Amino acid sequence: MAKKVLMKLNQVTRNYVMGEVTVQALRETSLFIYEGELLVILGPSGSGKSTLLNIIGGMDLPSSGLLCFGEEDLSRAGDSKLTQFRRCELGFVFQHYNLIPDLTARENVELAADLVDKPLPTEEVLTEVGLETRMDHFPSQLSGGEQQRVAIARAAVKSPRLLLCDEPTGALDYQTGKLILSLLAKINRERNSTVVIVTHNTPISAMGHRVVRMSSGNIVEITENQSPVSPERIEW
Amino acid sequence: MSVLTRKLWRTIRNTKGQFLAVVAVVMVGICVYISMSTAYYNMSRSQELFYEETNFADYYFHVIRAPLQIIRQIEAIPGVSKVTGRIQKDVPVLKDDQQRATARLISYPLPMENEVNRLYLLSGRLFEKYPQSGGVEILTDPQYAKANGLSFNSIVNIVAEGKQVPLTVVGAATSPEFVIAMKDAATLLPDPKTFGIIMLPQNQAEQILNFSGQINQVVVSLAPGADEKRIAEQIKNILEPYGNLGSYPRKDQLSHNVLQSEINNLRTLSRFMPAIFLGVAAAIQFVMLGRMVKAQRVEIGVMKALGYDSRQLMLHYTGYSLSVAFLGALLGTLTGISLASVLSQTYTIYFNLPETIGGINSKAILYGFMISMAVSLIAGLTASRGVVAINPAESMRPEPPRGTGKIIIERWTWLWRRLDATWKMSLRSVCRKWGRFAVTLMGVIFAVGLLVLSIFSNDSVNFMINQHFYKEQHYDFLVRFGTPVKEYELLNLARLDGVIRTEPLFDIPVKLHFNGRSEDDVLQGLPSELTLKELTGENGKPLYLPEEGILISQRTASKLGARVGDAVEVETLLGLGPSRYADVKITGINSQLVGSGSYIALAQANRILQESRLVSGAMLKVEPGKTGLLEEELNNMTNVSAISSPRKELDNLNQNLDSMLYTITIMIIFAALLGFAIVYNSSVISFAERKRELASLRVLGFTNGEVSGLLLKEILLQSLLGVALGLPFGRFMTEWYVRAVSTDLFTMPMVFSFQTYLISALGGIAFILAGHLMVVKGVKKLDLVDVLKNRD
Repeated sequence: MAKKVLMKLNQVTRNYVMGEVTVQALRETSLFIYEGELLVILGPSGSGKSTLLNIIGGMDLPSSGLLCFGEEDLSRAGDSKLTQFRRCELGFVFQHYNLIPDLTARENVELAADLVDKPLPTEEVLTEVGLETRMDHFPSQLSGGEQQRVAIARAAVKSPRLLLCDEPTGALDYQTGKLILSLLAKINRERNSTVVIVTHNTPISAMGHRVVRMSSGNIVEITENQSPVSPERIEW
Repeated sequence: MSVLTRKLWRTIRNTKGQFLAVVAVVMVGICVYISMSTAYYNMSRSQELFYEETNFADYYFHVIRAPLQIIRQIEAIPGVSKVTGRIQKDVPVLKDDQQRATARLISYPLPMENEVNRLYLLSGRLFEKYPQSGGVEILTDPQYAKANGLSFNSIVNIVAEGKQVPLTVVGAATSPEFVIAMKDAATLLPDPKTFGIIMLPQNQAEQILNFSGQINQVVVSLAPGADEKRIAEQIKNILEPYGNLGSYPRKDQLSHNVLQSEINNLRTLSRFMPAIFLGVAAAIQFVMLGRMVKAQRVEIGVMKALGYDSRQLMLHYTGYSLSVAFLGALLGTLTGISLASVLSQTYTIYFNLPETIGGINSKAILYGFMISMAVSLIAGLTASRGVVAINPAESMRPEPPRGTGKIIIERWTWLWRRLDATWKMSLRSVCRKWGRFAVTLMGVIFAVGLLVLSIFSNDSVNFMINQHFYKEQHYDFLVRFGTPVKEYELLNLARLDGVIRTEPLFDIPVKLHFNGRSEDDVLQGLPSELTLKELTGENGKPLYLPEEGILISQRTASKLGARVGDAVEVETLLGLGPSRYADVKITGINSQLVGSGSYIALAQANRILQESRLVSGAMLKVEPGKTGLLEEELNNMTNVSAISSPRKELDNLNQNLDSMLYTITIMIIFAALLGFAIVYNSSVISFAERKRELASLRVLGFTNGEVSGLLLKEILLQSLLGVALGLPFGRFMTEWYVRAVSTDLFTMPMVFSFQTYLISALGGIAFILAGHLMVVKGVKKLDLVDVLKNRD
């Protein structure tokens, strides 16, 4: 079966000018992200993975090169186009959850649901992440794992075509981390969303369909994983 | 410079917008304080000096005619320190331009030393008793001289005792009774073109007015601590046989009353305006510093770990507010000094206070700095007391989450369920930070309240003008005769070309007695078929003249403690023939805004005087376009002593409204600045606190507009309530203010137009939006990548 390209990066570079020094955070990087895949981007800090994530997530633009989402060229997109992209196509899960402290779990999810025309039912999504009894709690009343589950629900409720997760287990303990990864895998499997997980935690790569390894602003290797492992069986 | 000082300096630089906003509020507070209190100090001091130097009278007595020697008898009363007898009479002036003016002739015994109400020479020289030229030398008040182009040796022609008398001007002078030269309380403003003071030697006045060896006015100064009421009664008894026309203490003297009300006004403003501004500035600083301490929790922890103690750190943060106070006070002083000189100039135009105390009031400046620094010190220390509680080890950990209890609106589940998530977010955020909410709310309430107060004076004056000139007066001219005439003589007026209607009137000075109390008043007799004048009762309702009974003036009624249905005893003080007495029932209370007077049917007035069909003046309605010619004809009639034209009074008034608009504009600017500063600061704080939250919303796909909208919702929730409460608060504050500055003679009608509320509300919304817009600029600059970074 031919895989359909969801996002295309061709010879993308990103330079940051800091005073008199230009730092090349991303060097002529090319990457295809396919529909329905679970892609793990792996690399130590400073490898350029966050820069890549920012560009994929429409929060930053390449200094040169081509960035396309579907047929849409985003390489030179303006602020409003990027906002539209994030609003309609993207779900984002942060390392530190970034929930709105003044909204309950349910309301945090509703906040995102209100942005799109046909969101999934809020309660269904929250039930799916196992928070059916915690819906009316505020973030400060939830554990880290629960907060991250709310964050996943908030990202998933829009049924985005691309779900970006930045170190989603970075602030969580081992058991909770695994639970979160299972949820992400489940969303990928059952809703057919493309999921991109950025992490420095090598064992997590076992769950991805493909693994992108980065170092010093370059993609050094892209490997295809013939038999992805269920997150429950990953050890780190 | 110590490291902490450098840190303070950088903090100020990083928060310069907020810093300057609070500085501006402090500046306005200090500017108002310095300018108003300097003006207050200068005015009251020069009033005091002037009164002292000229021996301003404590009590005034008017009689028809009394021998000059009577003053010896009065001087013998214990407690009386000095008595001056003099002649005062209003006479018509024949001006070159054929216009009619009234001069108040006042005689001065020479030599003047030790007399009461001495005059104060401003230019020229003092008049002589027997000038070599053989003429009559006079001094006039400076405004009259200026308005009529009089200079040394100019001639003023008056009509006295039916004869034209030329008077020679030898200079200009003033006196404590004419600090402001107004004809009577019914005049809204001085009109120096048509009314002036003429001062002349006693011997000349006796001659001109046929008062040889006689006086008609006694002015008395009392010894300190003397029993004013008792002495006044004794003097009245002495003067009784000479036709006691009226008496009043200094506080009811017109010029003093006007001056005093202005001074009271300055004092009230110089206290109350700065209190609002400095109070709000303190509240803003309290919130700002409290937030700063919270935001710099980790830094404070580190500094404590390094060995700085709480006291040093508290002083560091207090340094911020002290810098605000110092800069604000400095700028406020500079602007205050310039505003004080503008105020002084304005006052010298209106008031003849020769002993002008000018210059800078260093005490006010010192107090200004002290108050400003003290307020900021308190705000700073209170706000930074949170430093003490910060433990170096704990400060490195994230702060415990704040309360998550339900806010009150959540109980109304019907409403709550219908709100979208952004509204819920804003509502909770506002309600949970109730301290800041309260400060913003209070600031907006004060700012909007001040807008109401500023714009109110416009309503009040408009109402007064409308009421006085359009509703109550339908005539074009009011003519008064030198001596009363028979009503049929008005036919001479009615026959004049252009006169449509003539209605008679009869002004009778009276004393009203009720329940052992007495009050002077002027009773105006009016025809029962009155059309050229409208009488207004309480609540602005029209009053109708009864055939029997009196419509008593509100002021007199309240002084006598009399009400509708009571009978007062009227004692006439006309000065012609003996006083008459009659009991008359009060049928209504007349509450006209300008001046005060009581009304009675003309027929009943004549019955009381035991006269028939006597009148002292007439109101004329004239065909449009014929007023000019008619006025000339009236001016040529000899028995006409005064002509007043509402249209001219209105013109004079309108010319003087500029200074009011100027004051209103300044007040509006100040109020808007106050509102802007508070909204801006609370928006900046709220934005700074929630940068991360807002940026993550942007990542989720919220547009800049939606994120700004979220902040706007929050600020609107706080400030619209402020606007809504600010309007009634403004009304309340205005009522308080008007009460504080009202005097017996002058009060502003409490009228608030819908426009005032509308403009105040819109003004409030405008400064809220301005403050908000300054902040939402920051939304565009939000660093989205930043949210992905580590939190700590």
